[in-house]
Amino acid sequence: MALSIGIVGAGTMGTGIAHYAALHKCTVALYDINDEVIRRNIERMNFEMKKSVDKSKISEEEMKQAMQRIKKRTNINDLDTCDIIIEAVLEDVRVKKDLFKKLDQVTHHTTILATTTSSIPIAAIASATKKPERVIGTHFFRPAYSVKLVEVVKSIATSDDVVRQTTDALKQIGKKPIIVKDSPGFIVNRISSLFFSEAVKLMQEGISSVETIDLLAKKSGGFKRGPFEQMDLTGNDIHLALTKSLFEQTSFNPRFAPAFLQKQMTELGQFGKNVKKGFYTYEDSL
Amino acid sequence: MKQVNKKTTPVKKSFVKKKEEQPAVISAALLGDELLLQEYAKLFEENRITVFFEKSLPANAKKITYAFELTTADAGTKKKHLQLFEKLLSPETPIISSSITQTLLEQMQWMQHKERLVGIGAFPTLIENSAVELTTTFHTKSEIADAVQNFFAAIKKEACFVQDSVGMVMPRILCQIINEAMFAVQYGIAQPKDIDEAMKLAMQFPLGPIEWGEKIGFKNIVDVLDALHSFTKEERYKVSPLLRRISLAGVFWNSHSSR
Repeated sequence: MALSIGIVGAGTMGTGIAHYAALHKCTVALYDINDEVIRRNIERMNFEMKKSVDKSKISEEEMKQAMQRIKKRTNINDLDTCDIIIEAVLEDVRVKKDLFKKLDQVTHHTTILATTTSSIPIAAIASATKKPERVIGTHFFRPAYSVKLVEVVKSIATSDDVVRQTTDALKQIGKKPIIVKDSPGFIVNRISSLFFSEAVKLMQEGISSVETIDLLAKKSGGFKRGPFEQMDLTGNDIHLALTKSLFEQTSFNPRFAPAFLQKQMTELGQFGKNVKKGFYTYEDSL
Repeated sequence: MKQVNKKTTPVKKSFVKKKEEQPAVISAALLGDELLLQEYAKLFEENRITVFFEKSLPANAKKITYAFELTTADAGTKKKHLQLFEKLLSPETPIISSSITQTLLEQMQWMQHKERLVGIGAFPTLIENSAVELTTTFHTKSEIADAVQNFFAAIKKEACFVQDSVGMVMPRILCQIINEAMFAVQYGIAQPKDIDEAMKLAMQFPLGPIEWGEKIGFKNIVDVLDALHSFTKEERYKVSPLLRRISLAGVFWNSHSSR
């Protein structure tokens, strides 16, 4: 039987997951309080799928069927028949806790409640429910419709059965799940934070320039992107928020101390490529 | 969108002229750590550079155009090698020495002809790629630095000059990533093979941090972090106890094992 997935939050992440799941023959209930947000993002998903059809990655028939599997929902009670509900709302612990409290009330007690948080402890979110053993982290990476990895985050309360069912569900939608303990930054953000912070430190100490460090990372280290290019792409504000959260959750471990320069850049609105100013300056091509 | 104000280190224009002036046969003397000797010898031989090791060095000293000292951590051995080069080679021969755990300036204190010493970020696996990092000090003659840059340009390696500092750039970044991965294994956050897989899939790392550590050698990672800790006195360079144990035990770490 096809897996039934509920997705709460029709933003970029939620829509990306819906896109991937629908192409993998899952029934998707895409929920948001704002009908207009759902409509707009489903339109964008349609556009992305058309691009895949043009590149012969999927057929027109596959696209048609995938789009039919996605149901718009604006009433949270309509998620009661889902096997798993994946939350993809604002990265705010209060917002997430309120939502999980509600989901705990409206869903069947066997439904898995998953959160896409990248920085909030799963246990903190689970504490809002009466059955914390069914709450789990599913940390997807952007763009969710193309990056295969998902960190499956097990809190001290999550049951082994829920971990197994979640990894099975993710495999069913073509993802590569890895099981991670509920800990600051999980794995990817924890390790990559050192890639970024050490680069900023080298630059601040005057050992090398932004350009040379990026060049060495790519041409000597073999990385796809230099650390500064990557930070500009993701957004310096997002990086700073992640680093701050890691620093606080590790009881101010100096390995995760945010760089003073990144704080200044964020204060000045130098978020990166999106605003055309970050570690590099960008201009529109003619 | 187009990125602007990005600069790369240009190959010196003098290279074309220099190429004509260079001897027809280029040769390199190599002393240092076994793994680095193998990597550099392979690269040089593929580029038709004659390579001499310690035993053949005295008999061929006059033929040597570049000398490489590739010891990562053992200061005593490095000093002995540099002094051997100084004794055997002409004072004009450029000496390129690994400057990851000892700064170039420290190494210059052991030398009579400081001006021909150039530092290199020689670290296992890095020479396979298309750029090398070099360092100089105020003692280094610019002609020597140019000659070394041109030597690498001739074998299609872009030379990037960075400041003389422990760990240089890429070894320092890599050691920090690998150390953090070992902390994660130690804390039971994830299995080693999953950590490698995660970093490759999510961040497009060319290698997983643990498999990279295996290739570099965990002792080398510990040596660089210890040198950074000693040099900076910063807590962030403290070695993960698991990494130190593996390095001390000298056992092969199988990243695909769950142990």
